[in-house]
Amino acid sequence: MPRNLKIALGVLAIGVLVGLISLRGLHTRMQHLAETQAAEEKARREVLAPPIVTPTDIKAKAQVFWAVAPDRIAPVEVELELSADPVQRAKQVLHSLIEDPPTNDQRTVPADATVLAFYILPDGTAIADFSDALTSETPSGIISEQVTLSSITRTLAINLPGLRRLKILIHGQEVDTLAGHVDLTGYFDLNPNAPLQFPVPPAAANPSSSPSPTQQPRKPTR
Amino acid sequence: MVAIIFVASVFMLAARPLLPANVLGHPLAQQDIPMQPPQATPSLQAAPSAGPVIVLDPGHGGTDTGARGESGAVEKDVVLEFARSVRGELERQGFHVVMTRNDDSNPSYDDRAAIANANRDALFITFHISSTGSVGTARSYFYQFWTPIPAVVAATTGAQPSTPAAPGLTVWEEAQRPHVDASHRFADALQAEISQRFPNSPSRSIGVAIRGLRSIDSPAVAIEISSVSVSDPNSLTALAAPLATSIAQGVTAFHSASLTGSK
Repeated sequence: MPRNLKIALGVLAIGVLVGLISLRGLHTRMQHLAETQAAEEKARREVLAPPIVTPTDIKAKAQVFWAVAPDRIAPVEVELELSADPVQRAKQVLHSLIEDPPTNDQRTVPADATVLAFYILPDGTAIADFSDALTSETPSGIISEQVTLSSITRTLAINLPGLRRLKILIHGQEVDTLAGHVDLTGYFDLNPNAPLQFPVPPAAANPSSSPSPTQQPRKPTR
Repeated sequence: MVAIIFVASVFMLAARPLLPANVLGHPLAQQDIPMQPPQATPSLQAAPSAGPVIVLDPGHGGTDTGARGESGAVEKDVVLEFARSVRGELERQGFHVVMTRNDDSNPSYDDRAAIANANRDALFITFHISSTGSVGTARSYFYQFWTPIPAVVAATTGAQPSTPAAPGLTVWEEAQRPHVDASHRFADALQAEISQRFPNSPSRSIGVAIRGLRSIDSPAVAIEISSVSVSDPNSLTALAAPLATSIAQGVTAFHSASLTGSK
């Protein structure tokens, strides 16, 4: 075999060796990156969605709806620290719904979803503003989206009987659908016949003072 | 040295397929079901036939693929195949059929509703495939609206009351509201047939707020088949025939009941 060919083959063999080592290193780095991302995501969630603690918290029983089958949900009784403030109470039960499913199979709301804000209007309309993980990580399909939605609405309805209906926003914006099917442009019934029990501003409570046509919309309870 | 760099580069390029599918695009993701040649673009012109016009709406399309299975099944393609199969069966039974898309386009919800609403006495059916659920089951859905805030509560709280449409006009966003009962009956008629051919499917339809139904000004249902998670995409294709038979029978039953009820 000519000497030049031997050298070329030797160089080629070294090249193959270097390539294989690089490939293994790349694979290890990718795995490490994925693990780091997952850990960072978990830390981020803990920062974004810390447990909600208020001065009026008392330990009480709550019902949280989790999945019992791919197409069914059922209530589970849990003990939670619940606030006397309905807005904080709503956040607390939603936090439990997202963070505390008994098993992963029973999860109905993506683990990365967080409640960014919650408002209650004087007419009993609740507005829940979720992070975009709710739409991006809910499996696409009418059944799966309805299971997610029902677990949210039924958990709120049973633990906050004064709420009439729910509007869901994603990062403060109205979006068309949850994951391609279920309509988020409208409202969802919670307790449509609930008696009015949320703070009514004095102007509306006093029938003698009719609102002026230029009256600004009232600020919701946050 | 140059040779080493060259060889290493070759290896780096060769390593690309080892990266995760969601980074580079899984090869199966490109394996779409072959499309039939595009046919006539759906027209907003009202159909001339006297009976109900059946508007078939294959969900998703274009860049909106819908659910994707690991086997390569893509919702937008499978539902198009289903709709074409149902169209053939309905036309054999003498119904006039309009499709909201017959290619890989993605009309907006409003465009799809406009096609349906241009036809009097239309019956609208939208098709979807789930990403979860028991494989081989199917469900029919009708739109479930929220309860309007009572006027007395709206007045007490200063809330914006629902704006009723002027006489003779329909609010586009709530065009389905007056048809909810009829849609419920239509969905039940379809589900009664579906449950006979798709074992373990429920016997009754379900009310869900499905975006694609909200602006349809006629009885409208969604049908969802489970699921894209099948290991063999051909097993989904095999569901097209029983689905077409179920829908043709259900449409006929609903139409006959409507005629009887209107007499």
